[in-house]
Amino acid sequence: MMDDSDAVAVAKAREGDQDAFGMLVERHSLRLFQLVYRMTGNEQDAEDVVQETFLRAYKQLTRFESRAGFGTWLHRIAANCSLDLLRKRKRRDEKVETVELESEDPLLTLSSQAPAPDDQAFHLEVRQQVEAVMEQLTAMERAAFVLRHFEGKSIEEIGSALGTGPNATKQSIFRAVQKLRRALEPVLSSTP
Amino acid sequence: MNHPTEDQFVLYHYGEASGDNEIAEHLEACESCRANYQVLQRVLAAVETLPVPERTESYGAEVWRQVRPQIAKPAKRRDSYFWRLLPWPRWALACGLGLLLLGAFHAGRFWRPPPTSTTTLVVQPQPLSAGARERVLLTEIGDHLERSQLALIELINSKTNGAVDITPEQVLARELAAVNRIFRRAATDAGEPGLASVLEDLELVLVEVANGPAKLSADDFAALRERIDTDGLLFKVRVLGAQVRNRERDAARELAANRL
Repeated sequence: MMDDSDAVAVAKAREGDQDAFGMLVERHSLRLFQLVYRMTGNEQDAEDVVQETFLRAYKQLTRFESRAGFGTWLHRIAANCSLDLLRKRKRRDEKVETVELESEDPLLTLSSQAPAPDDQAFHLEVRQQVEAVMEQLTAMERAAFVLRHFEGKSIEEIGSALGTGPNATKQSIFRAVQKLRRALEPVLSSTP
Repeated sequence: MNHPTEDQFVLYHYGEASGDNEIAEHLEACESCRANYQVLQRVLAAVETLPVPERTESYGAEVWRQVRPQIAKPAKRRDSYFWRLLPWPRWALACGLGLLLLGAFHAGRFWRPPPTSTTTLVVQPQPLSAGARERVLLTEIGDHLERSQLALIELINSKTNGAVDITPEQVLARELAAVNRIFRRAATDAGEPGLASVLEDLELVLVEVANGPAKLSADDFAALRERIDTDGLLFKVRVLGAQVRNRERDAARELAANRL
């Protein structure tokens, strides 16, 4: 079911009220950015895809069926925009560094005590491995895995969003997990 | 129950396995599976370390500031009416792209710019390098192989209830076969017999699916499925796809190294 305030804003936006659509943009941008960043792995691409998603949503607003959540519908459009981008994108020479190495690492901030240098190096290695494997997943593997792992979408929802059948969706997720496991298992087994 | 497979563990982890309780009981009883599953849990937990850049509270307002002008004055495409009149299906456009790529590939192979004097200071536009062209071609072939692989997986896993209706798969197979033909010819002309051979096998199946009856009896469907399985086509496509992706990565690295 759709959030009431979303439903009201969508109805107004359909009648041409741009401010109502602006409210929806402001409300959903952050969650959308998080999804798209995980799918694209690039900050600038993620910002572009977020904008593209809202533009597509605005153009297709009359096709939106209000029984589905507006956020879910947006996520579906964003997933497809990301998939298009991943397929078309030529791997860039310069990957934008998004996070400073010494901060914002969930593993590092778990403890109030400063981690030992060995721990820092270990966590950094794990994260670098994760990033490297995610980069090497195919567009479909990455999209399906992100939607399952980070967004908690069901196989059915993912298939519906990406236009794939349940078996193909599962296979994409299985292959993504296999690749992650192959790369991470040796690193994780050397836990300090 | 037998030891669950790796894939069943993945589904179990995400709460999507059909026999959740059986797997849970098995994990209680089987030490090796428990250890195996714990490794999987650790791997998936490690993925959580992937950071997402912070956004300020005003991010939504910033997005709206950028989106608003674009929806306020929608730019009319001068050619929109022309495109709407185009009766071509998507596969025809894909073929066009394939031909363009093929042309670009050959242009890079046989065309060499005339020698220029080292003293001439005229700056001319640089044609796309052979490496860049190769990379574009490899990317497109890699995407095509991935789509074909998914289509085959979907087809052989179709649920049978006596007869099978493969109408949607036929539409997709028709598109894929048309694109496949372009890439197969390009591979043959480029002296890539291994690539051309797998693409040829793939094309035979795609054409068979596309041009066969939409409704298959259980026996016909079993025969088709067996053919895909027996010939190891799916495996060959998967291996080839991985090889193409590796070559694409190598090409990318080479390009980046040349730029430095």
